[in-house]
Amino acid sequence: MSGDPLLRLQDITRNFGAIEALRGISFEVQRGEVLALLGDNGAGKSTLVKIISGGLKPTSGSLYFDGRERNFTSPADAKAEGIETVYQDLSLCTNVDVVANFFMGREIVKRYFGIPVLQEAEMEAAVTRAMSNAGTRIPSLRTNVEYLSGGQRQAIELNRFVHWGGKLVLLDEPFAALGVEQTRRGLEMIRRIADQGIGVIIITHIMAQAFQVADRIVVIRQGLVAGNVARAKTSPDEVVRMITGEAQLGTAQETRPNGPAA
Amino acid sequence: MTSPRQRATAEFVLDHLVWFMLAAVLIVFSLFVPNFFQIGIFANIIEQSTFVGVMAIGLAIVIIAGHMDLSVESTAALAAMLTGILFCARGIGLGITFTPEWLVLPISLLLALAVGGLIGLINGFFTIKLKMNAFIVTLASYIWVRGLVVAISGGRSAQDLAPSIRVIGIQTFLHVPLIAWIAIACFAIFSFIMSRTPFGRHITLVGGNPVAAFRAGIKVDRLMFISFILAGAIAGLAGWLLAIRTSGATANLGTGMLFNAFAAVVIGGVSLKGGVGRLPGVYAGVLLLSSIHTAINLMGLPAHYTQVILGLLVLAAVLLDTLKLQIRQRFA
Repeated sequence: MSGDPLLRLQDITRNFGAIEALRGISFEVQRGEVLALLGDNGAGKSTLVKIISGGLKPTSGSLYFDGRERNFTSPADAKAEGIETVYQDLSLCTNVDVVANFFMGREIVKRYFGIPVLQEAEMEAAVTRAMSNAGTRIPSLRTNVEYLSGGQRQAIELNRFVHWGGKLVLLDEPFAALGVEQTRRGLEMIRRIADQGIGVIIITHIMAQAFQVADRIVVIRQGLVAGNVARAKTSPDEVVRMITGEAQLGTAQETRPNGPAA
Repeated sequence: MTSPRQRATAEFVLDHLVWFMLAAVLIVFSLFVPNFFQIGIFANIIEQSTFVGVMAIGLAIVIIAGHMDLSVESTAALAAMLTGILFCARGIGLGITFTPEWLVLPISLLLALAVGGLIGLINGFFTIKLKMNAFIVTLASYIWVRGLVVAISGGRSAQDLAPSIRVIGIQTFLHVPLIAWIAIACFAIFSFIMSRTPFGRHITLVGGNPVAAFRAGIKVDRLMFISFILAGAIAGLAGWLLAIRTSGATANLGTGMLFNAFAAVVIGGVSLKGGVGRLPGVYAGVLLLSSIHTAINLMGLPAHYTQVILGLLVLAAVLLDTLKLQIRQRFA
C-alpha cells in the first residue's frame, strides 16, 4: 500500500449560513483500506459524505482523489471518477423494477439509427448474475421495488455498488435497516471489496461494526477530526472517549494532528 | 393463498384496466345503443380523440415526471390562433402564402411547435430555476396564454385556412382522417420513447424519486426542463391540428379540453404521484371518453350529461389509483 493515497482531504470546511458543520477536516484513505468514520449525531459525518460524493461543495479546503485535485460539481461528476455512494435513506426508485434500479442512469443501450434503445434482456441477465454472485435471492427482478422488504432493498443497493465497482465506495449507515444475518453478509461483502484494492469509507455509529470491518478509524467531533487511529492500535473504550471528547489529545492524534491547538 | 399465476393475472388486469373498461363500454354501447355499431361511428370516435389525445401525451409526460402542466389547453389555443392569423385568408387572417404552396405545411407546423415549446420553456423556467410550484406556475400560464390569444385576435376569428394545409384534415385513410393518424403516430412514437429509451426511463425514475435519480447521476433539472418544453410543443401540435380541423381559429378554441385531457390521463392509469403510467393507457382513456361522448349524442341525451359522467369517471379513476395499492398488497 505504497504511493499516493486514493483520497486525501485537506482542511475541508463547510458552513451552512452561520453554522460551521465542518471546521477543517483532513485525512487520507488508501487503496484497499476500509476506513470507519465515527461520530455523534450532528458531528458532520453526513455533510462530509456529501462533499466527497459530489453532492455538496466545500466552503474551503481541497479534495485530492486518485492523484489529482478535484472539484466535483455533482454526484455524476464524482461517479464518473469512480466514487460510489450508498446513502442511509436508500437511493432506490420504488416505482420501477429491480433491473431499472440496478442500471439507474447507466442503462445498457443499443443505437438504432442513432436512437438509443434500452436492452432489457441484457440488463436483466447482468442483474441476475450480480445477485446470484452475492447470494441474494429476490423472487422476480421484474417486481417493483415498492413490494420488496427493507433487507431486499438494501441488498440491491449493496450489489449495485459492487457491480459498478469504482475506486472508492462511501457507505452511509448501510446497515441501519438490516437484520443480524444480512449485516454479517454485508460486512463480509465490504471486506471482499476492499481486498480488490477499492477504498471503502463506512459511516456508522455502531462500534462493533467499525471494529469488525475497519482498518482505520476516524472520529469526527464538532466538525473536526478528533481521532485517526489504526484499528489494531485502539480499543472501543478509547474511541468512545474520542467521540464524546474525553480523549487525551496525545493518544488520539496518532497520525495527523489537526484538532484545535491545545 | 394466491398462486403466482393468479397474482400475475391480477397485476396485468390492474395495469391495463382502462383497456378492459374501453372494451366493456364499446361492447355495451354496441349492444344497447342504436346505430352505435358502425365503422363510421368508430372512425368518428378516433377522429374526436385527436386533439385531446395529442394534448394528453404532453400532460401525461409531465405528470409522470412528477410535475403538472395546466397550461396545455391555452398553449394549444395560442398555436392554433397563430396558425390562423398567419395563414388564413379571411377574418383576421393575413393569408401568407409561399411558393411552392406546400411549404406552408412544414412552416406552420414548426411555428406551432416553437410557440408551444416557448410556453413550456417559460413554465420550466419558473418551476425549475425559480423552484416555484408547477401547479401555480402552469395555472398562471393557463390564464395568461388564453388572455394573449384573446388579445392578439381582438376576440375575432380567422377563417379559411390554405387548402394546402387543410388537405390533412380532409384526406382519410381507412375511413380515418390523416390528422387522427397523426395523433395515433404520436402515441406510438412517444409510447416507444417512454418505455424503451433511456430518456423515458429517466423521466419515470425522476417522477418516482428525484433524489435517488440525482444521486445516480441523472441530470434531473435538465430532464424536467425538457419534459415541460415537450409538453408545450406537443400542445402546440394539438393546436395546429385543431386549426386545420376547424379551418381557422377562434379566441375560445379548445376551451374545456384541459379537463378532458386531464381526465383521460388519470383514467388511463397515470398516477398523480408521478412515476407511474403508460401512454397507450392514456390513449385508451381518450378513446373511452370519446366513446361515451358519442354514445350520449346517439341516445339524444343533452350533451351536458357528458360532463357529469366525465367528473364521475375522474373520481372513479383516482379512487381506483388509491385502491390499487391495497388490491396489490392482498395479492402480494
